[in-house]
Amino acid sequence: MNRTRLWAVLSSALLMFCVAGGADAQLAKRGSDPEHKLNLTWDRWLDHTEVGERLKLMERTWPKFLKLQSLGKSYGQRDIWMMTVSNPATGPEMSKAAMFIEANVHGNEIQGTEVSLYTIWYLMENYERIPTIRRLVDERVFYIVPTINPDGRDFFLHGTGSGSRTGHVPVDSDGDGLFDEDGPDDLNGNGIIETIRKYVPGQGTHRISHQDKRILEPVPPGEKGDWIILGREGKDNDGDGLIDEDPPGGYDPNRNYGSDWQPNYVQGGSMDYPFQLPEARATNDFWMSHPNIAGMQTYHNSGGMILRPPGSAWYGDYPAADIRAYDEIAENGERMLPYYDYLVIWRGLYTVHGGSIDWTNDGLGILSYSNELWNGDQYYNSPLLQKQTADPNSPIAGQKGDFFFDDFLEFGDEYQDWTAFDHPQYGKVELGGWKKLQGRVNPRFMSMELFHRNMAFTLHHADQMPRLAMGEATVQKVEGDVYRVRVDVTNDRIIPTIMEKAARDRTVRPDLLTLEGRNASVIAAGVVPNKFQPGPLTMIDQKDLKRILVRNGLPGRTTRTIEYLVKGSGPVTIQYAAVKGGTVSATVELR
Amino acid sequence: MTRLLALAFVAVTAAVQAQSASYLDHGALSRELRRLVGTSSSAKLTSLGSTLGGREIWVVELGNPGATPLAQRPGVLVVGNLEGDQLIGSSHALETVRYLLANASSPAVKSVLDAYVVYLLPRLNPDGAELAFATVKAERRGNVRPYDDDNDGRVDEDGPEDLNGDGLITVMRVKDPAGVYMIDPADPRTLKKADVAKGETGTHKLYWEGVDSDGDGFINEDGPGGVDLNRNFQHDYPYFDVDAGPHMVSERESRALMDFVIAHRNIAAILTFGQSDNLVTPPDAAGKLSAPTPLNLPAFADASNATIFESGMLRPAFPGGGFGGGGFGGFGGGGGTRLRGAQPGANNNPASGRRPDTTVHRADIEYFKAVSEAYKTVTGIKALPPLRRPRGAFFQFGYYQFGVPSFSTPGWSLPAAAAEAKPAGGADAKPAGGADAKPAATGDAAVLRALEGAGVNAFVPWTAYKHAQLGDVEIGGFRPSVTSNAPAKDLADLGRKHGEFVVKLASMLPRVRIASTEVKAHGGGLFTVTVDVENTGFFPSSLQHGVVSGSVKPVLVQIQVPVESIVTGAPKAMRIASLNGSNSRQRVSWVIRGKSGAAVVIDVLAQKGGTDSATVTLK
Repeated sequence: MNRTRLWAVLSSALLMFCVAGGADAQLAKRGSDPEHKLNLTWDRWLDHTEVGERLKLMERTWPKFLKLQSLGKSYGQRDIWMMTVSNPATGPEMSKAAMFIEANVHGNEIQGTEVSLYTIWYLMENYERIPTIRRLVDERVFYIVPTINPDGRDFFLHGTGSGSRTGHVPVDSDGDGLFDEDGPDDLNGNGIIETIRKYVPGQGTHRISHQDKRILEPVPPGEKGDWIILGREGKDNDGDGLIDEDPPGGYDPNRNYGSDWQPNYVQGGSMDYPFQLPEARATNDFWMSHPNIAGMQTYHNSGGMILRPPGSAWYGDYPAADIRAYDEIAENGERMLPYYDYLVIWRGLYTVHGGSIDWTNDGLGILSYSNELWNGDQYYNSPLLQKQTADPNSPIAGQKGDFFFDDFLEFGDEYQDWTAFDHPQYGKVELGGWKKLQGRVNPRFMSMELFHRNMAFTLHHADQMPRLAMGEATVQKVEGDVYRVRVDVTNDRIIPTIMEKAARDRTVRPDLLTLEGRNASVIAAGVVPNKFQPGPLTMIDQKDLKRILVRNGLPGRTTRTIEYLVKGSGPVTIQYAAVKGGTVSATVELR
Repeated sequence: MTRLLALAFVAVTAAVQAQSASYLDHGALSRELRRLVGTSSSAKLTSLGSTLGGREIWVVELGNPGATPLAQRPGVLVVGNLEGDQLIGSSHALETVRYLLANASSPAVKSVLDAYVVYLLPRLNPDGAELAFATVKAERRGNVRPYDDDNDGRVDEDGPEDLNGDGLITVMRVKDPAGVYMIDPADPRTLKKADVAKGETGTHKLYWEGVDSDGDGFINEDGPGGVDLNRNFQHDYPYFDVDAGPHMVSERESRALMDFVIAHRNIAAILTFGQSDNLVTPPDAAGKLSAPTPLNLPAFADASNATIFESGMLRPAFPGGGFGGGGFGGFGGGGGTRLRGAQPGANNNPASGRRPDTTVHRADIEYFKAVSEAYKTVTGIKALPPLRRPRGAFFQFGYYQFGVPSFSTPGWSLPAAAAEAKPAGGADAKPAGGADAKPAATGDAAVLRALEGAGVNAFVPWTAYKHAQLGDVEIGGFRPSVTSNAPAKDLADLGRKHGEFVVKLASMLPRVRIASTEVKAHGGGLFTVTVDVENTGFFPSSLQHGVVSGSVKPVLVQIQVPVESIVTGAPKAMRIASLNGSNSRQRVSWVIRGKSGAAVVIDVLAQKGGTDSATVTLK
């Protein structure tokens, strides 16, 4: 019962593995939780500088486990921070399966950054307190990149919030030889990019709703309204007669990866070639040099989804064995994440060519999900309230629900009422509408649950990365100095050491089954189909039986019995090595 | 000492100039480029970066200094030696530089250097090219990035060995009743696949020359390097092919080229030298390229390692084992995935969505044909050595994604081969002249006959060799890269012709200008301003594929007055998707409000056709 331990003991790395029984018992009697080592708050959205400061603070606090590095610079010269969470005492990083977590590839999809920070903090605060957390940190490596689009993040948080999905490599969107010269403008200087509407009695496309005067609703076909919507707040900056036709950036950073990459006319926003963008390139350089990565999560918003690749249906679905692993983990995720659906990207969302998790699955053999954080149903998250929202007469039905929530739970913080403005091109108009954080970003007070549940799913994902064990090895004398040696190799997790598609496409190094013995030679080797039932082996048809390539790896939750016919004497070591599951070995004596 | 070196340098270059062109290693090529560029103020040599082997990727920029900066002139890009052993490409590019500089004052060349810019990358793959000058020569296209070809966790561990010591990596044939190849009666030096349906029995196995260095039972399955740069680009990229690299544009060299191209949107036509063709045989009526005709012998040797990836798949001997097998899950609700919340619609219909084009646009075919005619006329090349399928090739990117006329040629001619050679699958060609006549040469036999007819030392005769692992074998076959490179004696002539062709190609580029202007006063300070925009070049300002793919920007015609003073007519920034060549015109007019006597500027910006400007006076 060493559930909790005294904090003072904990802080000393030397004493980490010594259980102070007496102190433990005393602490268990205390009413409150143990103090946090770092008292961090989780109810603010952090800009890139603050993210960096928090990462550095955590690294200073837990230097044994945490290592902060920059993967490179964004276009805007911001560091792409990555925290490595790993326990060096349990082996080098490359000997352990690693989970890669990233977020915020779309600049406005901010809350995954805080999920990532929370994950680091939670793992560290609870390393001593919760055995499962300790085991995860000891068995696995976590590579955590809180934001891979720091330019977009700061543009969204510091700026007016418009057009922040893109990165900030300049693109000449209107082909006039100038770059990013005409984007949205905060014309009335209130720090918000609002919607522009104009009063055009009897000639408009919209009308004020009788249910709430703040709701502007489209008129039914055949009728005319009093209002038209003229887009986002902005003007003709370059005097070419067009408004906001060349905003900052103007591409989709999550279409710039190397699998099923398609040119712009097929997949808008893909840029000229995969990994052209400095952020995608820096991340990929890290991935390519870390084949131990076996799991990948990229946090987006919104909609409440656990998405898996493929992003496009053009090449068919993945092999059935891969889908089984995807399904099992994600269906657990659905149980952990209320209001979230597990979906295939192209089928549940829309077709995506050149997305990041297509590349990590197809190009790197990594089982990868993308969580779309926050589902609008969570504003009214009880069966009773869900029922009410479905009743059109209820004050929380449809758009009314957004205003009700903002009025009563956010005290009107997210809405900007319409105000008159004299526009240089449109004349007398009104500016107003929802502010940037409404809709796709969860309300701050609901962050903690969102962070924790999504982290928990990703930790489940990490826990299901391949984990190898070698069972007992047996030796049986056949004749003279010829022996039959059998050994069990087990992967007790859901994810195979090599995904089926990766095996077919040869994107992951094969597992290596080696036998070493000074006086031993291998006559034959094979796989035992069922060790409890006599029957022929599946013979391994390779020339070098001391170094067997297992190109399709070890499937999930599988024990494979290998049998060797060995001639020789003395000790023999059998080793099974997977790049994504570690290395295990057993030694037997031929006698 | 310095002077001595300088003297030696002069002597060497003089020697290079004195004789006809020859194939140059990177040091010699670099010296020659520097020397040539140093002779002219219209030439500039820069490096796009260095390779893994520390060699510079040179680009030569040619254009006479003038009022319009080079970067704003329509440009031709010439790229050679993407395939490491395709040295002829670097020679042609070098000779093109020489030709253009030597003839800089001739009217045709001068007009090109005055109005256009020519960018030449003679050797995109200097590391690969250098291997063609090594003591032992092998047919190698890639760069030298270490690559685990057979994915066995060991890199470059089983390359070829020059067993017979002739300095060439050729192939080994072994008499073996289990072999599937037989001697081709058309030329007993060549082999063909035995057609069992015709009662033919295989007698030989084939391997690349070498031994099984890593004891895995396969010979030469993981030689040194590399990635084939001309298989590393974005159109029809051959995913997971061993020589295509880990992903598109993964290599320093391909990335350097791509970054150069996207920073030079003025490039309006591309010519590459490589092992594919669309110049001798332009795209057919359906927009397809002709089928490639690779040599059989190397392909047969490659096939000796075809089973390597199967042998490591540990599958149960009978169905029902615990291994995750099974085919690809279909989309018919299979795969076990619940699809809660799926929204049926256009986006999630697997059949929907814009697909990348894979054939030349109907409207563009005529332009390819016209350039093809020009190529054949200028170079005299009408038949080609064996080619390969251009998957991931740079020139395909040039058309399908960059949107400009883009070409590839092997750069030399093999006339007799074309008359007789059939594609590798063409074994059913009828023997000419009855049953007792000598069988017509097809496939390798025909290529060999053509090469030898052209005086090329093409084939290493089979000689017996005692192989440590295979026993009695014979070593022989095509000399490495013999179908890639013309005989050196032909280089000067071929290079000059390709220089002429580059001039011809440049002269066809779009030239967009303002042909005429007109101002009409309506009184009360209202004027109609009209311009006729004209393309005096041959190509349209954008090929149709450039338009539909959005890769070529529309011609922008802008009247430089405040938007408010435009009363009616064209938008201030008028966009013309494409303006045809051969002096086609388009009229643009605005009604504006202005002061009588005021000057108004009209600017034209054509991404591939240059810029122009006109000033009119309101009166």
